[in-house]
Amino acid sequence: MKRRTIGLIAVTGVLTGLLGILPAVSARPSHSALERYRNLELKPVFENFDKGWQERVELEFEMVNHPNLPELRQGLKDTDPYVRSISAKVLGFLADRESIELLAEMAAKDPEYHVRIRAIEALGFLKAKPEVIAAGKSDPDFGVKWTAKTVEGMVADRVDHAAQARASFAKGIRRKDMDSAVVGKRAPDFTARRLDGTLFRLSEVRGKKPIAIYFAAFDG
Amino acid sequence: MHQQAQLRLKKDEIQKLGAEAFVVVSMDLYRTEGFKEKNLLFGGGTGQFGKEKSIVWATALSDPSGRAGAIYGVSTKCLRWGSWIENRPTWFVIDGEGTLVYTAKPTFATPTSYVTDVDLVLDALRKAAGK
Repeated sequence: MKRRTIGLIAVTGVLTGLLGILPAVSARPSHSALERYRNLELKPVFENFDKGWQERVELEFEMVNHPNLPELRQGLKDTDPYVRSISAKVLGFLADRESIELLAEMAAKDPEYHVRIRAIEALGFLKAKPEVIAAGKSDPDFGVKWTAKTVEGMVADRVDHAAQARASFAKGIRRKDMDSAVVGKRAPDFTARRLDGTLFRLSEVRGKKPIAIYFAAFDG
Repeated sequence: MHQQAQLRLKKDEIQKLGAEAFVVVSMDLYRTEGFKEKNLLFGGGTGQFGKEKSIVWATALSDPSGRAGAIYGVSTKCLRWGSWIENRPTWFVIDGEGTLVYTAKPTFATPTSYVTDVDLVLDALRKAAGK
């Protein structure tokens, strides 16, 4: 009788412990950020220009702020071109020197133009392979040419642009803060970098004078 | 770049209102500087502003993570127009009290739609300045 009671208490204790662990386990995403990017319901394609961006933003922040380097390096060889693109982009921000050779190969030979764009950008952040970036200016695709032309000078530039990008990501982003600019409400604050390298904070000028802000695409 | 060139045309009027203009580029500082200073797409030329160092008059700001764009709901991180587009081009006007009073997404529907886009921004700035 006594032994049965002890057994029952032990079993109850184990079950209680398991129940305590289960919510914590289920609250954690079951797949890596790169894996979730691969399985995005709304891929980063033309049709989804205005849709699903919140998840793409969240995943990119997660990949940069909590990097899984081996997985990202493997991502450069993935069969999914969007996985190759995002891996190249993030590895550029992370200035991962182990990826330089593969990025150079991708910049020259990847069959998808958008992967070549990301690989060339990444080499710019890494300040590596200027000859590969220069060759990109002769790529048959206009977007690749344009990217090569605009990042070419990054290699010799003294500023650590990858470190600046990581600092921008390090602020993090919460879903509730996204899309929080509403007409009639106080304009949300944000920070960005001025051309002299100093940090700009909207709250420095907000409420002091009328302000126009234009969020530009690549060519304004 | 047309939106910025058109804004440059209205510089004097915006300054008279005591207003300030910013352009946020979701790129590293190097390319933001190129955007502002080097006129990579419109370099040279013989037009009215051909000899100016920059046709981008607004203060350029670099937002390489796209965090500012995400807060303002304009982030895209998507393929379009033959490249990766980080932000959907969008105007915002904030009044002197700090309240957001105007927002518009240029449609690029016609070759000169930027003229109306910037005129509307100017109207919103006038109202924001109480003039």
